[in-house]
Amino acid sequence: MAADCCYEVSQIAYVKLVLHALKHPSSAVNGLLLGRLRQDGSTATVEVADAVPLSHAQIGLLPALEIALIQIEEHFEAEGLSVVGYYHANERHNDLELGNAAKKIGDHIFRYFPRAAVLLLDNNKLQKLKTGKGRDPAVQLYTRDSSRSWRQTGSDGSNQLTLKEPTANIVLFDYISSEKWQQIVDFDDHLDDISKDWLNPGLFD
Amino acid sequence: MVGAEEAARLDRLEIQVENGGGGAWEYLCLVRKLKPRRSDKVLKHGLAILNDPKARSNLGGEEWTLYEQVAFAAFDCQQHNVAKVFSLSLPLPLHMCDCVAVLSKEFPGSLRVGRLEGMLLEAENSWAEAEKVYARLLEDNPLDQIIYKRKVAIAKAQGDLKVAVDFLNKYLEIFMSDHDAWRELAEIYVSLQMYKQAAFCYEELLLSQPTVSLYHLAYAEANESQCIEYSGFIILLFLRFLLTAFIEQVLYTMGGLENLLTAKKYYASTITLSGGKNTRALYGICLCSAAISQLTKGRSKEEKESSDLPSLAAEALLRDYKYRAPKKLPLLNSMLKNMKLSS
Repeated sequence: MAADCCYEVSQIAYVKLVLHALKHPSSAVNGLLLGRLRQDGSTATVEVADAVPLSHAQIGLLPALEIALIQIEEHFEAEGLSVVGYYHANERHNDLELGNAAKKIGDHIFRYFPRAAVLLLDNNKLQKLKTGKGRDPAVQLYTRDSSRSWRQTGSDGSNQLTLKEPTANIVLFDYISSEKWQQIVDFDDHLDDISKDWLNPGLFD
Repeated sequence: MVGAEEAARLDRLEIQVENGGGGAWEYLCLVRKLKPRRSDKVLKHGLAILNDPKARSNLGGEEWTLYEQVAFAAFDCQQHNVAKVFSLSLPLPLHMCDCVAVLSKEFPGSLRVGRLEGMLLEAENSWAEAEKVYARLLEDNPLDQIIYKRKVAIAKAQGDLKVAVDFLNKYLEIFMSDHDAWRELAEIYVSLQMYKQAAFCYEELLLSQPTVSLYHLAYAEANESQCIEYSGFIILLFLRFLLTAFIEQVLYTMGGLENLLTAKKYYASTITLSGGKNTRALYGICLCSAAISQLTKGRSKEEKESSDLPSLAAEALLRDYKYRAPKKLPLLNSMLKNMKLSS
C-alpha cells in the first residue's frame, strides 16, 4: 500500500467543494477531485488541482455517475490531470461518518489510483470559519489503508492534508458572505439543462 | 409537482422582493402553495412583515398562517443552513419559540399547534421530548398522517435509516396511496443502495400515476444501478481497459441482463412521455445499449436486440449538444464513439 503521502488541495478545488455543499444545504452532495501525483525523491504528493461537483440528489443512482466519470476523465486528460479522489458532504449536519455510497465510489477510484483521497466535509470546522478562527481546512481526509478500509488521517504525520494556498479559508469566507454558492453548477444541473457547464468556467473571475 | 409557468413566476417574485420591489405577501402565498424549499427567504421576508405592526394587522386572519410558515422556515434554517448563520444577525432560536408561543396562546389545545410544538423540539434536537408530544397527539388523533411522517423524520434525522424505513413501511400499509411517502421511501432505499426495494416503490408509483415521466426515469435508473452494482461499473472497465479478460471477471447473471432490459424499456417510455427532451433518459438508453451488447456478446443473434433506438438516442443527444452546449460536443462524441453508437 502507499507509504507516507502528502495531499495538497488547491484553493480552486477546496472552494468549489465547499460552495457546492452550501448550495444544497438539505441534501448530500458529492464530486470528483482531479489532480496528479508528484514524486520528489522519497516523498509523494498528490496535488488536487481541481474539483468537479457531481450531484446533489439521489447520489445512490449510478448511471449519472458513470456518464460523469467518462466525460470528466476525458476532458481532464488533455490537461494532464486524472481523477485522484472524491469528495462528499453528508445530508445531516452532525454526521461525520463516511457512508457506504461514498466508500463504494472511493473504492472504484482507488482501483485506478491507489493513493485516492476521499474528502468529507466537516461542518463543525466550517462553522469555525465564521468566527475567522478557522485555520484548518474544513474537510477530513480519508485514505485506504492496508486492511482495505477507509481510514481518517490525522495531523499526526502520515498522509497529511494541506491547503496549497494558505489564504484559501479567507477567500472561502469572502465567497460565502457574498453568496457565491448560488452560481456553482454540478453535473446534475447539467443533465437537467445541458447549457449549464459543470466545469464552472468564470466562477472565480 | 410544480408547473414551469408557476416556477418562473416564483423566481420572478423572489427577485422582485429581494430587490425591495414589494410583493412579499404574494411571494409567501405562492411559496405556501408550491412548497419549494426557500426557508431563508421566507424567514427573512416573513419576519419583516410580522415585525411590522401595520403590515401584520393588514393580514387579518391570515396572520396565523404566516406565523406557522415562518416557524417552519425558522426550524429549517437553524438545522441545516450553516451559511445563513453568517448573514442573519437575528438570534434564531428566540424567534422560533416566539412564533410557536404566539400560536399556542391564540389556539390552545389545537392539533396543528401541537404539531408545531413537536417540531420545535425536533429543531432543538430534543428527540425524546418530541416523540412524547407526538405520542400524546396520536392518542387523540390516531389517523393523523403528518404526525406519522414526523416520526419518520425524527428517525431519519438521527441517522436511523433502517428505523425510518420500518416506520414508513408501516405507514404505507395504512395510507397506501400516499405518493410522497412512496417517493420518500424509494429515496431512502436508494441512499442505502437497496435498489431492488427502491424499484418496488417506483413500481407502485408507476401503477398509480403512469404518465409521470419522473417515475419512469427513476425506475429505469434504479434498475440500471442494480445491474451496475453487482457488475462493478461494467462500462468503465470496458472502456478503460478494453480487455475481455476483465469482462469475464465481472459478475453478471441473467438478473443483470434483465435489469438492463427493463431499464432500457423505461428510459424509452420516459422519452416518449417527455417528448424526447429528457437528457438523462437519452444517456440512459446509450449506456444500457452499450452494456447489453457487451453482455450479450457471443450469444446467438436472435437474442440480440435489433433496433434503431440507441442510434436515434445518440443522434438526439448530439443534436441537442450542438445547439445548447457546443463546448461539450467533442466529449459527447468521443464517448458515443467508444460505445459504438456513432461514427
